[in-house]
Amino acid sequence: MAEPALLDRRLVIVTGKGGTGKSTLSAALALASARLGKKTLVCEVVARERVSELFGRPPSGTQIRQLLPNLYSVHVRPREAMREYALMTLKYETLYKLAFENAAARYFLTAAPSLAEIVMLGKVWWHATYDMDRGRPRWDLVVLDAPATGHGLTFLSVPNVFLRLVREGPLARDMHGMQSLLADPQRCGVCIVTLPEEMPANEAIELDRSLRSGGFPAGPLFLNAYFASRFSPQEVAQVTTGGPALAASGEAADNHEARASLSAHYQGILGKEVPRKLVPVPFFFDRSFGMQSIEKVASAIEGAL
Amino acid sequence: MKRLAEVLRGRKVICCVGSGGVGKTTTAAALALQAAMDGKNALVLTIDPARRLANSLGLKELGNEETRIDPGLFAQAGLQPKGEMWAMMLDLKLTWDELVRRQARSPEQAERILQNGLYQTLSTAMAGSLEYMAMEKVYQVSTSGRFDVVVLDTPPTTNALDFLHAADRILDVLDNNAMRIVLGPMLKAGKFGFKLLAAPSGLVLRTLARFTGSDFLRDLAGFMVAFEGMFDGFKERAARVKDLLSSPQSAFVLVTGPNPLTIQETLFFHRALADDRIATAAVLVNRVQRDPRRHGGPDNVAALREALQLAQIKDGSGTPPLSERLCTTLIEQSTLADLDRREVERLSRTLAGVPLFTVPRLRKDVHDLAGLWQIDQHLSETGAD
Repeated sequence: MAEPALLDRRLVIVTGKGGTGKSTLSAALALASARLGKKTLVCEVVARERVSELFGRPPSGTQIRQLLPNLYSVHVRPREAMREYALMTLKYETLYKLAFENAAARYFLTAAPSLAEIVMLGKVWWHATYDMDRGRPRWDLVVLDAPATGHGLTFLSVPNVFLRLVREGPLARDMHGMQSLLADPQRCGVCIVTLPEEMPANEAIELDRSLRSGGFPAGPLFLNAYFASRFSPQEVAQVTTGGPALAASGEAADNHEARASLSAHYQGILGKEVPRKLVPVPFFFDRSFGMQSIEKVASAIEGAL
Repeated sequence: MKRLAEVLRGRKVICCVGSGGVGKTTTAAALALQAAMDGKNALVLTIDPARRLANSLGLKELGNEETRIDPGLFAQAGLQPKGEMWAMMLDLKLTWDELVRRQARSPEQAERILQNGLYQTLSTAMAGSLEYMAMEKVYQVSTSGRFDVVVLDTPPTTNALDFLHAADRILDVLDNNAMRIVLGPMLKAGKFGFKLLAAPSGLVLRTLARFTGSDFLRDLAGFMVAFEGMFDGFKERAARVKDLLSSPQSAFVLVTGPNPLTIQETLFFHRALADDRIATAAVLVNRVQRDPRRHGGPDNVAALREALQLAQIKDGSGTPPLSERLCTTLIEQSTLADLDRREVERLSRTLAGVPLFTVPRLRKDVHDLAGLWQIDQHLSETGAD
């Protein structure tokens, strides 16, 4: 079966090195999906919420909030997710309190292999698969703004790691469910965001390998903050030596081409090393980065998805 | 107005702190280079350097080995250091193993722990583990007496500034009384030399076991038994590490970029340090866009067209015409410079009293000694008062 287009899947995961623009791309992907008329939920799992802020809205917190028509966001936090999950499985509030609201359980949350990640991923999984509204899925698409590379990979590998240590019980059963969603190219796609710089590019190459060897369905690689060349080398040479009146614009042109040549350099390397669709995302010179910037990013990537 | 080198003079440990992607590693290496140039034996302890930087410094991958940067490389870069520059890449697992071996009461105990199935997961996968081991390693090398100054490139922490608390948190996990009580019957079985076969008993334990299965609890009990009696040693050592880092011998340098989100995180780090009564020694803003308008000259299409004409450069070639492309580019880069300036000013206002240094965005990635030295040149310009 041919793989469906990225936004036609159930769960799109966005990961990459810290500071590459994961939240921006998550927001832009969600906006692109919402524009297609799909009811879309963005889940953020890192400590500080960003997506709602990008749309100029107050933080959503752990309650789902609407940002735009068809576009919703939620901040998934371990403690609340744990509680919801435990309650779902345990049914009785008292039993939950007894087992989880004590010092031992606090310990347990930290020590059990990535229990916090498990319950957070579990909640995202639930929204993508079991969250129903009048007999049909509540969400057409769930976008997960995942943690940065190292943590992101740990985060997505959590079901697998957990299943190695824990082989029985309701958690193990749910882990199988998560694992099968995360490995299914019909329902899930994992995107990488990177920058035209050495460290982010190298990390993207390694992340791509780990993700593919982990069996995660490959979504596009977004090369963010991309500068397209605008001047020929001859023009730069002429202007930079064109005298004091052209010093400012000469320096600007030279800087631009320096960044454009880095962009082209890493585009070449990534294109060769990473077997994914490579989508350059232009750098936008916005005085304040907000809704309009997200709209521009969404428009820039829409055609390539 | 002081140079950064003066601000950091006499410190034995320098921790570069900041969010991911701001150039901490490069900064840490540049600071170590500066110290070596000034006649110190300087070690940079890094977590995950860019491959080209590591290669160009002749650093081996991982292994916790101190590597002296080849004096030949300095000569190639036209530098004559009065001291020595060393570098080391932190190996998380190896550092844990070393610590366990050092603190164990017997080699047998150490082996039992190292062989435990959960040890690896717990030691390397627990949040804060990398921070804890980075601190541990800094303590080890800086008390070894082999270096005048150790510069630490801290792990890219996203959540909070965990360096000073990572050890407490992890030791609390490993030696948790509440968990001991819950696991009680299983622990006893272990102590008397039975295989850990006791089934989870008690309501709490049985409920937890429903989630995780009893195998995991059994492994956990085994792990706790193996660690028995070692915690005091661990805690005492962690306390000494903390003392060193909060003493005047250590300096924390905040590294940031001009991006508003990064600046927000930097201010957060600053407050977290202040909460621990640690003063930020300096803040360093990397990759600040220089303003092309400082050269003056025309900044609109008509005037640029004229200037091109005067310089006898053809405007018509290419679409849109050169003058228009120049004008767009000039406006874009001026916008960036304005944004960066605004952020740096905001940072400097908020951190009044903390020396602030800026490094302009360089035309190329820094990946060798010459590039690091270029950064040092910018840092030796005077910063804020």
